[in-house]
Amino acid sequence: MTEPTTTSGRRTDALRAVRGTPDPGTPGGGTPGGFAGAVACEWTKLWSVRSPYLCLLAGLVITGVFTFYYASIARINDHPVEPAGNAVASSAVLAQFAVVILATVAVTSEYATGSVRASLLWVPRRHRVQAAKALVVAVVSFAAGVVYAVVGTAVAWGAFDGRASFDAGTTLRQALSVGLYLALVAALAVGTAFATRHPAGALSILVTLLWGLPSVLLGVGGPDLAAVNDYLPHGAGDHFMRSGVEAPYAPVSATLIVVAWAGVAHLAGLYVLRGRDA
Amino acid sequence: MITLRGLTKRYGETVAVDGLTCDIKAGRVTGFLGPNGAGKSTTMRMILGLDHPTRGRALIAGLPYASLRRPLRAVGAMLDARAVHPARSGRTHLVAQARANGIPVRRVDEVLEAVGLAKAARRPAGTYSLGMSGRLGVAGALLGDPPVLVLDEPVNGLDPDGVRWIRRLVRNQAAEGRTVFLSSHLMSEMQLTADHLVVIGRGRLLSDTSMAEFLAAASPASARAVVPDPGERATLVRRLMAAEGVSVGTTESGELTVEGRTAAEIGDLAHHCRVRLHRLSDVRVSLEEAYMDLTARSVEYATGGSGSTAGTPGATVAQHQGEAP
Repeated sequence: MTEPTTTSGRRTDALRAVRGTPDPGTPGGGTPGGFAGAVACEWTKLWSVRSPYLCLLAGLVITGVFTFYYASIARINDHPVEPAGNAVASSAVLAQFAVVILATVAVTSEYATGSVRASLLWVPRRHRVQAAKALVVAVVSFAAGVVYAVVGTAVAWGAFDGRASFDAGTTLRQALSVGLYLALVAALAVGTAFATRHPAGALSILVTLLWGLPSVLLGVGGPDLAAVNDYLPHGAGDHFMRSGVEAPYAPVSATLIVVAWAGVAHLAGLYVLRGRDA
Repeated sequence: MITLRGLTKRYGETVAVDGLTCDIKAGRVTGFLGPNGAGKSTTMRMILGLDHPTRGRALIAGLPYASLRRPLRAVGAMLDARAVHPARSGRTHLVAQARANGIPVRRVDEVLEAVGLAKAARRPAGTYSLGMSGRLGVAGALLGDPPVLVLDEPVNGLDPDGVRWIRRLVRNQAAEGRTVFLSSHLMSEMQLTADHLVVIGRGRLLSDTSMAEFLAAASPASARAVVPDPGERATLVRRLMAAEGVSVGTTESGELTVEGRTAAEIGDLAHHCRVRLHRLSDVRVSLEEAYMDLTARSVEYATGGSGSTAGTPGATVAQHQGEAP
């Protein structure tokens, strides 16, 4: 042990000396804390370990490679001209897993290490813990999505080499849409992770929902299966991220479908978090 | 103050905690004793809102833990010192904790200094020894300067210096009028630390009494005396044996072991009979002996047959002669 060799007496004195002015009023009362405190706590916890940085970096690399590939194919095969941001909208099928893993690990690592009990001691209202974590992860994912969109559009623009159109308004709207989509799937992942408590279980569900099912539905083909996919999170997300393509419903409806998925995941997570002992 | 009212926890058929009712009062150190599996940790987790009671209530200053807005300013708890993300530094762990309850971050450095972890504060918690993890846990409990402390096995893994430090710390906290509720398996340490005892076995309350009463109840008055003169010794033994319920044993060295009389009573009698004494002392049962005696019948995980864990009251450890706490 590399502890300082102060005597126990000196430690005790130090402790007494540093004690601040006691909080007036009822114990546990006061202004801060609450939801704002829970959010600050989650923010601190998120950035104090390595995995979020790695996830976000991986997402950026995936976006860069995917958008370059997408735009190159469009150029080589002489695809019709489309907004450059569509390359980024397409890349979300893979890039979404950067924030899904970030969000899942942010929850399940607490169960793996037992530190979830500390989190619940610090913030005993369980819905508040879950909401704070979802909010923090969603905000980070939104920012990541916007950055990915800007970088991805730039990369794609070069690779399209004229096979794409650029319009500042459309690009901005698409960047915000990608951010919104990633924020919502990150929140979806937080709810799922609280419901399963284990990374394997959570990621099985999320990969199936966000990638496996859409691949099967669209791979097998047919309008009926495609219609089903329109109501899955990525199918709906694709409709509000992509520009200049026909969609079965308005972008607002598409957004609400993804919101509904995230909401269901959170209800499931909250049911488990509230019902079970920590 | 911590209030338990009919606190009950069932896991299917198993009753882990069974109708626990007691008050853990402010201004004293209350030791929480019980064999492994008696329900101590479950009780503490219910007090802290981590486990849901099947029945009954656990209240802190009259409120359930979950309804405290800034719980760390009301209760400082240390349950499992190892339950920290191993990649997060001790300091960041405490910073996150402070932010959750609106505690200024400078307080983190104060408690780190106070528990002797300042130098290791920025290392990942996964590299800490068990003793350092314990100190981090105590730092977390003290962070909000709370009027109530709940500590599960706080001396676990600490070196002797650390054990003494915890003892002084909790005694100071109690002296300041705070409520201190701590569990430990180290009976000798508990005897030096606690003023009051709550003992459970098989989830039920076995005893809720002061340390002095707990020890007194387990041992009838008895004392030892050394009488150098054989003739005077015989006189004293005769006078002692004249009373009902007194038994006297004699060792080869001339020491008398008297059961049924205190040292004060023997001293008075010796003075009355003009018997010279060289040594006279009360024999006090140790907390370990008293505790073993009480829980002998409720130990769930006795090491079968050897009798080393339970069932043999007084089999271990000499009399308590330690310093006053």
